[in-house]
Amino acid sequence: MSDILITAFALSVVLVGIHAFFGTEIIRRGIIFTDLAIGQMAALGAAASLFFIDGQFVYPISLGFALAGGLLIAWASRHTDNLEAFIGLMYAFGISAVYIILSKSAHGMEEFQRLMASDILFTPQEEVVKTAIIYAVLGVVLFALYRRIDGFWKDALFFVSFAVTVTSSVKLAGVLIVFALLVAPALIAIRVGGGRPLVVAWIVGTLVNLVAIALAHRFDFPTGYTIVFCNALLALLVTIIPRRAKRG
Amino acid sequence: MKRTVLIPLAVAMIASVAAPLRAERLKVVTTYPYIASIVEQIAKDTVRVDALARGDYDPHTIVPKPSFIAKLRKAHLLIINGAQLEIGWLPPLLKQANNASVNPGTRGFLDLSGHVTLIDVPKSVSRAQGDVHPDGNPHYYIDPHVIPRLARAICTKLSEVDSRNAAMYKKNYDEFAARWKAKRASWDAKLRRLKAAKVIQYHKNMDYLLIRYGLVRMGTVEPLPGIPPTSKHIAELEKIFESNTIRFILQDVYNADDSSRHLSKKFGVKMVKVPHDVGAVREAEGIFSLFDEMVRRLTQ
Repeated sequence: MSDILITAFALSVVLVGIHAFFGTEIIRRGIIFTDLAIGQMAALGAAASLFFIDGQFVYPISLGFALAGGLLIAWASRHTDNLEAFIGLMYAFGISAVYIILSKSAHGMEEFQRLMASDILFTPQEEVVKTAIIYAVLGVVLFALYRRIDGFWKDALFFVSFAVTVTSSVKLAGVLIVFALLVAPALIAIRVGGGRPLVVAWIVGTLVNLVAIALAHRFDFPTGYTIVFCNALLALLVTIIPRRAKRG
Repeated sequence: MKRTVLIPLAVAMIASVAAPLRAERLKVVTTYPYIASIVEQIAKDTVRVDALARGDYDPHTIVPKPSFIAKLRKAHLLIINGAQLEIGWLPPLLKQANNASVNPGTRGFLDLSGHVTLIDVPKSVSRAQGDVHPDGNPHYYIDPHVIPRLARAICTKLSEVDSRNAAMYKKNYDEFAARWKAKRASWDAKLRRLKAAKVIQYHKNMDYLLIRYGLVRMGTVEPLPGIPPTSKHIAELEKIFESNTIRFILQDVYNADDSSRHLSKKFGVKMVKVPHDVGAVREAEGIFSLFDEMVRRLTQ
């Protein structure tokens, strides 16, 4: 049994690793729902593939949709003042389009949900290793380039790499876990303060996931939802509880 | 000197491997509670039986929990409904459990749908045509005439996996079959009175029972299996209600019943919540009480 929990834990750590970076960045930019909007565009791609061509090329098509979504947001971030509204509506557009497409497909919604969000319990070890390598490379590229470029290209790099990451993470762990791991550790780190929010987010995220997976195992809760619950709960608590006054 | 050490060591090693097999009860895992209940009838307490899904949940979509994998890992025998009812949730669990002795096709695996004749087997399978059960309608066990056949298949499989207790399984099966026959006579008598009654179902999950007792299936509240009702479809259903005397609307316990309720109120037709599995409602505690309660709700 422990091997599966270790795999789930390893995956959650890999996810925290890259998503904490994106998380601190989207909180700073004030565009939290970018994740859900891009995830929903990827979902729309998957639904289209499922309905029109019997589920062929699901991954490339959903990645294409996600990239298009990412680029649109990158464009909008320079050309509109109402970016948050734009992102929110992209999410609403994606989710409604998915429902319309799948309303003509028997048990299509169930099939679709399976396709979009496999349970974190089911992730094979080799997938975790593969994802860890891809995200590490992506992380190095971002680390090397992100500070050196500016303007549209910086945004394009950010949104494109974000779209790629979200699409593959959601495929592995589901949209809710990805959202929780993206926002919660980053928010906690920002709230706690200190010079290195990314490092704090990594440590906090890893510890919370460890506790969550242990709880899920102990009480036989669905693993994914327990991870989301623990991350969200801690982030909410940290936000509500007043910070100690810095002076005195 | 060496031999005196090695022989007891070898004996101890063999014993340590063999001992658990002897001491351990056979572990049977079933996907749904109704199967577990039949296993209990045939094996009594010689085996340990666990159902993965709960009876009050939608059988098509079961949220996986860590314990499912643990149970599948330790199982000696896995019994499933089959006909693709578990397709949405069991395959990844089996893959992660990685227990070669209960994988499909092995001795420790039993697919009950192989022992019944399925209806609605599509000629061609296409998602857009609205069919995702290419093997046919998987809700076959809802017909009380089918249950003994399933019990016999389970008895045969148990005897195969655990041959030492074969005589006991056979004896329990005979007792079960006799008890079931007596019960079924009373269910038959009650349900036959519903012959030719026109019914609307939410999902096509009562078809086998309706066909058995000659009820007339006038449509389903959902436009396609697994798709929530749309306004156009409800309008079409209302026409059916207007021009026919519908006896009742059959609603399962896990889908939203708003549309059935609306139709029930508008046309004064009774909505009956029918338990589809053991544990779906409080009264359905086992395979006998499941059918007792089903019949009671349909005939009261």
